[in-house]
Amino acid sequence: MQIFGNFIVNFAEIIVLWSLFQLFEDLGGWSLNEVLFLHGLSMVMFSAGDSIANGVQTVPDLIRDGNFDRILVRPMSAYIQSMVNEVSLRHFGLMGQGLLLLTIGMVTVESTWTVPKLAYMVVVILSGAGLFAALFTVEAILSFWTVNSIEAVNAFTYGGSDLGQYPLHIFHRGMRFVFLFVIPVGFLTYYPSLYFLDKPDPLGLPGFAPFVAPFATFLFCGVVGRGWAFAIRHYRSTGS
Amino acid sequence: MRLYLELARRSFQQTLTYRGATLAGIFVNGIFGIMLASVFLALYQSQAGGGSGEVQGWSRDQTITLVWINQSLLMTVYLWGWWEVTRNIQSGAIVSELLKPYDYFSYWLSRDLGRAFAHSLIRGVPTFVIGLILFDVLLPETWVRFVAFLVSIALAVTVSFCLRFMVNLAGFWVLDYRGIASIFTAAINVLSGMLAPLAFLPEPVRILANALPFRAVIMTPNEVYLGQVPIWQGLGFQLVWICVLVVIARKVMGIGERQLVVQGG
Repeated sequence: MQIFGNFIVNFAEIIVLWSLFQLFEDLGGWSLNEVLFLHGLSMVMFSAGDSIANGVQTVPDLIRDGNFDRILVRPMSAYIQSMVNEVSLRHFGLMGQGLLLLTIGMVTVESTWTVPKLAYMVVVILSGAGLFAALFTVEAILSFWTVNSIEAVNAFTYGGSDLGQYPLHIFHRGMRFVFLFVIPVGFLTYYPSLYFLDKPDPLGLPGFAPFVAPFATFLFCGVVGRGWAFAIRHYRSTGS
Repeated sequence: MRLYLELARRSFQQTLTYRGATLAGIFVNGIFGIMLASVFLALYQSQAGGGSGEVQGWSRDQTITLVWINQSLLMTVYLWGWWEVTRNIQSGAIVSELLKPYDYFSYWLSRDLGRAFAHSLIRGVPTFVIGLILFDVLLPETWVRFVAFLVSIALAVTVSFCLRFMVNLAGFWVLDYRGIASIFTAAINVLSGMLAPLAFLPEPVRILANALPFRAVIMTPNEVYLGQVPIWQGLGFQLVWICVLVVIARKVMGIGERQLVVQGG
């Protein structure tokens, strides 16, 4: 029922997007099919990352209840334990829908699909899942110090996934900078798509920009990993 | 009446308490506002004349204004994630609630109005200011329109509350409310004008939306603000729906109460 519900919500949004393209010519030079492809790509990454990090998202609750101490005294990585603390299938609907849009996009866009492209797409999707999982981990890390303001991270998790669904060059320079060089969502969705869809880069980054996706994730995960380790070291339990 | 005013006041103060969460929320609303506004700017840019023309009677600046009004209204009308009554029903606490010497519907309505007033001040105003600074957001043409807009927001909150209250009552009959929640969210997103002006939707959807109460929550305040509808017509539309929804909500509540069975109760 919940999967069906999620499907309805996203389906409604796609209907609105479709309606907009009936009235407007294009979106920053991108056709509806190309934007659908981008939507699909971003949704698949986000849902995969969200599923991986599902347990990690319970860390704020664990800390508040004092249950995080139990995790720490066990002889196993605290991260892996948090990760498997809760496993949920709630994002299978979103994932299925993302795959559907991705497929529709792939079939309808005017670009040729080659083996290297398809192989790289697998790499990009895995990297993207890693990036979103890391973003959800940032939320968990912040919850070691504050419980009130972690909603701000939503701007980067949900916001990042939404932003990844549109061609990056339509956004303001400051916004582009943040979502490329601070939180590299743009390198996971937009830039690889330029390569997949044979589109020119209006932003003028070097020619290898579409191929930095796995490295961007690697770097970002490295930083987040350090943050997690730091948080664990400085953790003080709640209660007495 | 004093009791309900007091309830609203308490709820107002309770909402003001969470400072950190408020700042974080404004940040999130701001980011989403910037994103949506940028998408519409790019869409208008694709038109002949570089976005100076109107689309379905909506100019670029009017559409941008709608985006920011919607982001600012988001928390005030609180369309998502309010399941207090459902939880009340599921936990069985509703039995003791119903015994208390106040009207259950009015109790929640006054609390919600207090909450909405606080949210409009601490979430709505700052979010709208972000939009005013960063984008060409239009201002209402006259003071009268602005005041009417404020009244329209209060009515929108009431319509929103009635809708939420009714969806919550589904808890009398179903155990898992999340499916219903999703369908409600989808309906709201499209049929209220939250994602895009209703004029941008295909004819059949538009006709459906105009016949349903959802548009009274989002579209009507926008139209009143932008001067796209006579004030009396906008506010009248909302008032009619409030009357209809209050009657239905109370009826459904009565039916639910009568067949309520609580474990251990």
